[in-house]
Amino acid sequence: MSSAMSAPRSDDVSAVVILLDVNPYFWGTKTSTGFTFEQFFQHVLVFINCILLLSHLNQVTVIAMGASACTFLYDSAAIDGTASGRSKQEKRPESRSTTITQKLQEFVKKDEAAETNLGPVENQFSNLSGSLSMALCYIQRILRKPTAPPQPRILCVQGFPDAPQQYIAVMNSIFSAQRCSVPIDACIVGSQHSAFLQQASHITGGIYMKPPQPEGLFQYLTMVFATDLYSRQFLQLPRSAGVDFRASCFCHKRTIDMGFVCSVCLSIFCKHHKACSTCGANFNVKKGGQKRKHPSS
Amino acid sequence: MPRVRVISRNFMEMVAGLPPAKLDLLYKRHWTCQAVLRSLPPLAKLYVMRLLYVEEAVPSKSLQDWALPDAQQKHQVAINRMEKLRVILVERKKEVCYRMNPVMQKQLLQALSISKGPPRDVMPGNVAVRLPTPAELDTYAMKQWESVLLQLVSSASSEAPIVSPNFFVIDMFKLAGLLLSLKPNSAPSITDTGFQFLLMDTNSQLWQLVQVYVSAAEDRGTDSGELIGFLLELGFHTVGEAYSVGALTTPLQKVLEELAALGLVQLQKGMKEQWYIPTRLASNLSASLSESSDMQSSEVLGTQGCIVVETNFRVYAYTASKLQTEILRRFARLEYQLPNLVVGALTKESINTAFSSGISAEQIITYLSKHAHPHVAKRMPVVPETVSDQIRLWESDRNRVELLSAYFYDDFPSTEVYETVLNHARSIGGLLWEDASNRRLVVREELHGDMRLFIRRQSGAAGQRG
Repeated sequence: MSSAMSAPRSDDVSAVVILLDVNPYFWGTKTSTGFTFEQFFQHVLVFINCILLLSHLNQVTVIAMGASACTFLYDSAAIDGTASGRSKQEKRPESRSTTITQKLQEFVKKDEAAETNLGPVENQFSNLSGSLSMALCYIQRILRKPTAPPQPRILCVQGFPDAPQQYIAVMNSIFSAQRCSVPIDACIVGSQHSAFLQQASHITGGIYMKPPQPEGLFQYLTMVFATDLYSRQFLQLPRSAGVDFRASCFCHKRTIDMGFVCSVCLSIFCKHHKACSTCGANFNVKKGGQKRKHPSS
Repeated sequence: MPRVRVISRNFMEMVAGLPPAKLDLLYKRHWTCQAVLRSLPPLAKLYVMRLLYVEEAVPSKSLQDWALPDAQQKHQVAINRMEKLRVILVERKKEVCYRMNPVMQKQLLQALSISKGPPRDVMPGNVAVRLPTPAELDTYAMKQWESVLLQLVSSASSEAPIVSPNFFVIDMFKLAGLLLSLKPNSAPSITDTGFQFLLMDTNSQLWQLVQVYVSAAEDRGTDSGELIGFLLELGFHTVGEAYSVGALTTPLQKVLEELAALGLVQLQKGMKEQWYIPTRLASNLSASLSESSDMQSSEVLGTQGCIVVETNFRVYAYTASKLQTEILRRFARLEYQLPNLVVGALTKESINTAFSSGISAEQIITYLSKHAHPHVAKRMPVVPETVSDQIRLWESDRNRVELLSAYFYDDFPSTEVYETVLNHARSIGGLLWEDASNRRLVVREELHGDMRLFIRRQSGAAGQRG
């Protein structure tokens, strides 16, 4: 598979879009390691400072993914761009973290409200697809700037397990990231591996890592995820041991090993259907009779 | 611009050349630490990040394992660079170990985690001084810088000086070898390097001057470490924000006035205190310090190009700037000068005068295409091929005749003697010209001794003339 890192890079200026999992369902139910959200958030804040320290042209954008929505928390480029008197103060690290924290608090409140409206059960997932699309749209905007843009990459810090119902949306985002050569890095702070992000980093040429000790997150972030695309050609970086390539079915959003595939549009189903729900192709050709057998039985 | 990179790398080398004690002193301020960090090669930057939280010395073996086997060369370059700048210190125990310079480590850690105020005291909001708008500041910087260059140009033209001379700037030019006083008290005249300097882009020009400025600092009574520290720090100031002059040490206050002459800062008098406002020139100066930023716009001030070159060798420059006009005059014959337009022609004579002052064809063409009018800039090629080819041809024309000092031999007694001498000259590779019918030949000067011996051995009767 062609990776996104084929184009030669000659400089290390990068634009990093960080997707932060702030899902209260994950951070609320505490894991055995005792790694709290406060610690996590602080690690990330210092990491943002690190990236901005490395080069004055570096850009960092932070997108929070909550249980029902996602939002931009911070954009270093936006603050540098506006030359109003107030914003100048925000370049300082101190005010940077206060801005992010404030934004986060606002977002969490909104997210909470939106969530109760929707009913809690089926929304107990982080909005990965939404934040990925947001990041990609944003990157498109950077890439279209007339001046030579920095090299964009996405870093996804996820805690909550994958949401099977987002399968199609996530895969679409991954393929569009591949098309515009944006590597997706993934750092899993939760207890389960994420099949979506394994595939994402595999397809786009990013790095997938699940730190064995999440409380040392900062060290992993600086050692691995701070590496710009240029330097990745020269440094030893963790390689993923294996990728979970299993797909989810379109009908029940279950992750399946084997299933039915529509011969016209390649949609995946876990059970035999009379017609494809995506493209409408009719599978029930009378003459052939019972052609397919159920794979699992 | 590769050129900027070379020059700015030289600057960092100058920083590396400071004595260790001074460097450590420099690293006491976290702004300089950050500036130095940003100037490192990409790999070295990441190494610093990785070492930042390591307090013990790390064996060089483990550092080597970070890089891929076929990237060891890059790895070594990065390590050497860090060592030179004392970012990492070498410790030799059983094996070679590296540890981060503790002074720098502490500063960088603070910069990362603990909030620090702006590098210097910002003007509080309640002071009633009107700050210049970004546009005004740009115009100011551009005007200052233009007047600096005009100093250089005006010394070249024999006419009355266009601007009143600024002795500081002229001194700098002299030190940089761009201006040369032939007699102690006569007006200095521009050198070949000076002409070439005019055609460089602003950032390179600025770097070159700053470098001279720093190396001359000790003689002028400023501590070079302090000066370098301040220059590095200037990049972290916010453009357009006013900073208090009073907070600086006295030598730096003097420096500030000189930097204002270059257009790096604007000085503003308040009610009680004086303020300085860094311009875009200053921020771009340190921006080009990081090796990776060759993508940064080379034209610092966003000056719009104004030159249109036509296939008939006419040059139109929509400009009112004296500097542009003067530079154009170096290689074009100016025909009319209207308030906002200068019309000239590239002629063989005008281009030749440029060549004789050391400007190359490539420099002229790059200048023309770099400063192209936006309407023309989209066209490919920006300078019509006929024109650029002709300029190159004119240049190669000049190189058609090569002057070599040589010796002329004639009056050979016989054809045989002539033939042997000729063959000898040919075999030692010094033969330049031969005329068999009149038995004459010309041989390079440096081989004369050898030739004389040979001819003497052949016959005692070989005549020669120098």
